[in-house]
Amino acid sequence: MNASSLKYLIGEGARNIHANRQMSVASIGVLVACMLLIGAAVLFSLNADAVMGYIESQNDVVVFVEDDASEAEAEGLGAELESIANVASVQYISKAEALENQMEKLGDSAYLMDALLDDNPLPATYYVKVRDLEQLDATVSQIEDLDLVLSVNSPTDVASTLVGIKKAVNVGGIGIVSILAMVSVIIVSNTIKVTIFNRRREISIMKYVGATDAFIRLPFLVEGVIIGLCSALLAFGLLWVGYYYLLEWMGSATSSWLQLAYQNLIQFESIALWMLGGFAAAGVAFGIVGSLFFVGRYLKV
Amino acid sequence: MITFKDVSKTYESGTHALHHVSLQIEKGEFVFIVGPSGAGKSTLIKMLLREETPTKGTVLVNGYNLNTMKRREIPAFRRTVGVVFQDFRLIPTMTVYENVAFALQVTGVSSKYIRRRVPYILDLLGLAKKARSYPPEISGGEQQRVALARALVNNPALIVADEPTGNVDPELSYEIVDLLNEINKCGTTIVMVTHEHGLVTQFDHRIIGIEKGRVILDKGGRPR
Repeated sequence: MNASSLKYLIGEGARNIHANRQMSVASIGVLVACMLLIGAAVLFSLNADAVMGYIESQNDVVVFVEDDASEAEAEGLGAELESIANVASVQYISKAEALENQMEKLGDSAYLMDALLDDNPLPATYYVKVRDLEQLDATVSQIEDLDLVLSVNSPTDVASTLVGIKKAVNVGGIGIVSILAMVSVIIVSNTIKVTIFNRRREISIMKYVGATDAFIRLPFLVEGVIIGLCSALLAFGLLWVGYYYLLEWMGSATSSWLQLAYQNLIQFESIALWMLGGFAAAGVAFGIVGSLFFVGRYLKV
Repeated sequence: MITFKDVSKTYESGTHALHHVSLQIEKGEFVFIVGPSGAGKSTLIKMLLREETPTKGTVLVNGYNLNTMKRREIPAFRRTVGVVFQDFRLIPTMTVYENVAFALQVTGVSSKYIRRRVPYILDLLGLAKKARSYPPEISGGEQQRVALARALVNNPALIVADEPTGNVDPELSYEIVDLLNEINKCGTTIVMVTHEHGLVTQFDHRIIGIEKGRVILDKGGRPR
């Protein structure tokens, strides 16, 4: 195949999109719809994951330090806590700070605490954040085994519920995305099949005139890749705009629940490249597979 | 030019389409192949175009042995044969010009040659004014002339016409065959399948009759 043939065939591919514009529009529509669905599902499950991660991080293990520990000893405990593998961060509240906090909470009634200033009964406290809520029980018993630990308050029930929800969100997200992907493959394959079936006569005519298989395939390939890329760009743009407006709506919402979720939603920019790359790869793959596989059926004349 | 040696064809469905057919068609001949429908004419044409291969026997066309030909050699062979079908088989999304140019394009000749050759052929067949039309916009007779232009554009040594007058008005049938006749005078071998007896008798060409898959008649034509 020489350069002038190649130029002709690429031109043919582009021209065919216009010549068969009804089918081209239908194909792009189907592809965009599938990509939007999958993209929305991916966004939803990523966000659900992010929000769950935030909620998870709100659950502190509260460690009370024994009262007879000196200030230095109490601070030493902090290092010990940090050395536990599953501990993400540690925040120390000294006895004095604890009392201060308490008085702040009481506001005007703070004078009630005045009597306690000399003999502060509040223990020094560590707020410990764990990395993996699933291992909470093991971590708590590790903490309990440390010297100078008076008692440990851990959100065990909440933790197990959260772990359950998070798993469900993860599995559900992967499940929905894979089901949508499967359905999309079937729908898009059928669209390509119909498109090429409509043109089987054209293919057989070309064969009668003495066209080689490659000569017939190349325009279909070009056509498929162009349609795939157009669909990818369109789906990507729509998703971005849609997501932008959704975020804007949530940001202005008065419901505190939505506000909380809003602050933890991922930014579209952070996954934009992946999304665009994924869409484009899927679009191009369909163009190539369609023209290789489905055109091949009608080449046996 | 065309040799059928003891060719038999049995389809997978069990239909015996051809029985021990032997034929010899020389360069420059004009041959009508006649016979009722289901006689095996279509199978004969399909074999000439290497759409089907014989179950038994040998088919030689334009110096190619169609029995031993590899799949990837088929396109090169088909470029040496111009084909005209009853249903025209033009690509509806291409203009008249593009339909004809396509047959040249597949051979990989320069676009300069194509730009010269296509208008020449269209002009020859009186289609110059229809170059930019699409097949559905023109008459059956014109569509068949486009198909003929496409068959001719490669300068093939052989033209195979399968019921070329089947879908055109009777008054235009003669015109189509006359065109083939003119082409034949320039040295191109023509094989035309038809069941219009009236048409065949108007020309003094060789007639091969086929019935039930056998050659039952072979007469006339120029002395070989």
